[in-house]
Amino acid sequence: MSERREIRITVPALTRVEGEGALDLTIKDGRIADLKLSIYEPPRYFEKFLEGREPAEVPDIVARICGICPVAYQMSAVQALEQIAGFTPSEDLKKLRRIMYCGEWIQSHALHIHLLAAPDFLGCNSVTELAQTHAAEVRRGLLLQSLGNELIALFGGRSVHPVGMKIGGFHRVPPMTERAALQAKIEAALPDAAELVRWCASLPMPDDDQAFVSVSLRHPSDYPITEGRLVSDAGLDIAITDFPQHFAEHHVPHSTALHALLHGEPYLVGPLARLNLNLDRLPATTRALLDETGIDFPSRNMFHSLLARALEIHLALTEAARLLALPDSGPAQPAPEPPLPASTGFGCSEAPRGILWHRYDTDAQGLIAKAVIVPPTSQNQPRIEQDLRLSLEHLGLERDADSLRLHAETVIRNYDPCISCATHFLDLNLVRDDTPATRQPECRPLRLLGAGSAVGPDSLAPRLISALRADPELQPYLADGRLELLASIQPLRDALNLPRDGYRLVVLDSLMAAPTDGLRHLHLNAATQPAGWSSHQLSLGDLAALQPLLPAAGDIEVLAVPLPRSAPDDEPPVNERHYLQLQRWLLTQLDALPSP
Amino acid sequence: MKPSVAVHKFSSCDGCQLAFLNLGEDLLALAELVDIRHFVEAGLADEDAQVDIAFVEGSVSTSEDAARLQRIRANSGYLVTIGACATAGGLQALRNLHDTQAWTAAIYASPQYIDSLDQVTPIRDVVKVDLELWGCPVSGRQLVAAVQQLLFGVAPLAQQDKLCLDCKRGGNVCVVVTRGEPCLGPVTHTGCGALCPKFGRACYGCYGPAPDGNTEALAECFAGLGLAADAVARRFGLITSTAEPFATTSARWREKTK
Repeated sequence: MSERREIRITVPALTRVEGEGALDLTIKDGRIADLKLSIYEPPRYFEKFLEGREPAEVPDIVARICGICPVAYQMSAVQALEQIAGFTPSEDLKKLRRIMYCGEWIQSHALHIHLLAAPDFLGCNSVTELAQTHAAEVRRGLLLQSLGNELIALFGGRSVHPVGMKIGGFHRVPPMTERAALQAKIEAALPDAAELVRWCASLPMPDDDQAFVSVSLRHPSDYPITEGRLVSDAGLDIAITDFPQHFAEHHVPHSTALHALLHGEPYLVGPLARLNLNLDRLPATTRALLDETGIDFPSRNMFHSLLARALEIHLALTEAARLLALPDSGPAQPAPEPPLPASTGFGCSEAPRGILWHRYDTDAQGLIAKAVIVPPTSQNQPRIEQDLRLSLEHLGLERDADSLRLHAETVIRNYDPCISCATHFLDLNLVRDDTPATRQPECRPLRLLGAGSAVGPDSLAPRLISALRADPELQPYLADGRLELLASIQPLRDALNLPRDGYRLVVLDSLMAAPTDGLRHLHLNAATQPAGWSSHQLSLGDLAALQPLLPAAGDIEVLAVPLPRSAPDDEPPVNERHYLQLQRWLLTQLDALPSP
Repeated sequence: MKPSVAVHKFSSCDGCQLAFLNLGEDLLALAELVDIRHFVEAGLADEDAQVDIAFVEGSVSTSEDAARLQRIRANSGYLVTIGACATAGGLQALRNLHDTQAWTAAIYASPQYIDSLDQVTPIRDVVKVDLELWGCPVSGRQLVAAVQQLLFGVAPLAQQDKLCLDCKRGGNVCVVVTRGEPCLGPVTHTGCGALCPKFGRACYGCYGPAPDGNTEALAECFAGLGLAADAVARRFGLITSTAEPFATTSARWREKTK
């Protein structure tokens, strides 16, 4: 008799990251059987909001993807849109943008080091605890963070969602007097930044060398911030326009985020990757600080990301101080006048967390026809998973769940994952599977039961079933039995009559709702009181109440299609968007099933 | 005993809770004045903590969110929404307007996605809200003022003025009059410090509609400045597209394009 011990831990594990997600870890026979980091990446739907908008609105919209790195989003966007406009920024403008961007690096890195990451290395849970034991260091960190915010506000009015950047320049160029005042404060803070580097180098870092590919921008003369070519330490050297030929995004079943791979492999973006690839572009004083630490770079230890951030704060302050003192060579360039021509433009800059790539297409009216945004965190996600596997096995999987969780969190925080806009807590779900036999993957064929009347408005679900039956993309699954499509006017009776085992039953039903609501995936049981959900009150409530009798124990899965209000004998046409949602949902589910 | 505070996050960009983390030294002062019980981004996780004041960032987009919000409401003495997402759905509520396009889900359909992003609603649609702080993002000044007023035991003063008034007091040159820019200042809630007109550009309404703003008259004015109907509709339907009267005016001008 085999003993099966299963430990499931659900804790709000990943605090101190920007946003939320979930980590699922299954340990079997002393090895990691499964490891999945699920992060929501809502920037994707921002791409859709951009369609039909004026290019001038884009900087204000994309800033809202992330409150921590809005300047990066604005910079990559204006770069792409200026390419469409045929506008070449002057050296003055490039300089001003670089100063503003330095502000974002400083505030984001200072926030990460002091509020998010350092507590890990000093055995604290939060910055308020850290402030008890390391008051001076925390104050220094908050001061640096404030300077970064001031730099952004100098050009943008405020540090979160600044309002200064536009296609073709700035709405307001700060006068030299304002620049000089801030320049003096920054000069004065340079020794603090140097102390920060020394402090970060002195923190106890785990020794964990791993092989990975670093990717960053590379500039002909400067440390890359606002622009450059894309390079890697595996020999990549391409223009940003060629990004799609080398980097591919793909959808993994466990996460709504797209994962990006370089030539099919995970890669690293962000401070450590930048530093590894641009050591020869550091200002002399920053380089001297790095040498002083005695730590060898390029580094293969991901924990050195913290040190890389501290060095980049020093670099950004040094750069900002130098450039703020530099007078402009002439008046501001005239900005391009709308409308922009119909064309395509690309932008890529080094967000605090790594390369942020944008592509925009404009239409004949000069409005945005299409936008593609690849943020750093979706690029790092496969690399984080790879790192977690190696790091946790290196640590020892026999350790208790708390130690594993803490180490996993620390590893993830190295990447400073910016998972803003997420809606779920990052929980660690640890499963220790001690069953000797191989676990069977979930491979029950999917049975979709369309519930509704034969005629009238409520015939929507059965009509959807008919359409799905004829869908060419679904034919392979229908042929090999992974998908079965049924229509029923009495779903309760029919569901009970279906064979009980071996299928995953999903009920497709229409419900009264606005068409904007889209397709919903619901889990119903006796406790969820679905009365009133269904347009034909009979079925769903009864199904839920009789749930224990149903084929597979557990919740009833329902896909609910919105049914517009209409006359009793009207048959509203199938909404194409809902159909596509349904088809995509099915394909995602079916692709996860092994083919027979 | 120090009053207790929690900062909760729903669907958002994190920019409003950043107003706390960007307080600098004041953050440490605040931590002395109040007992911060839950603030995930700052490393404090106790979601079900009973608190005197709960700040809520972000909009509600799943049934799970709604349930979590009910618990937060039950555990909190005073509930304050911070930012455009929490008070009016935010920029992501724009998806509610796009009813004809077969988009997002066609590309990203997966069960989680479908579950999570069907509807975007402000906090007040789900639970009672005691104070709304408008802004995309809110400023540290607004947060500190609200906390101070609550600590003194007075009901926080709701800011009613329009941005236009602040702008005039600030002595800025009017961008509508001098440059013909479609500025939303006359109908937008004050609070940002009239940043955009100060920078020579038109206000785009990120603090949401002020009470009693005549948006229709302003829309006519924009049309008079040469904006096409769809551009007028876009102007009112951006950061707080679901908030009235912006929503109605935006919809009415969108209709004119058909």
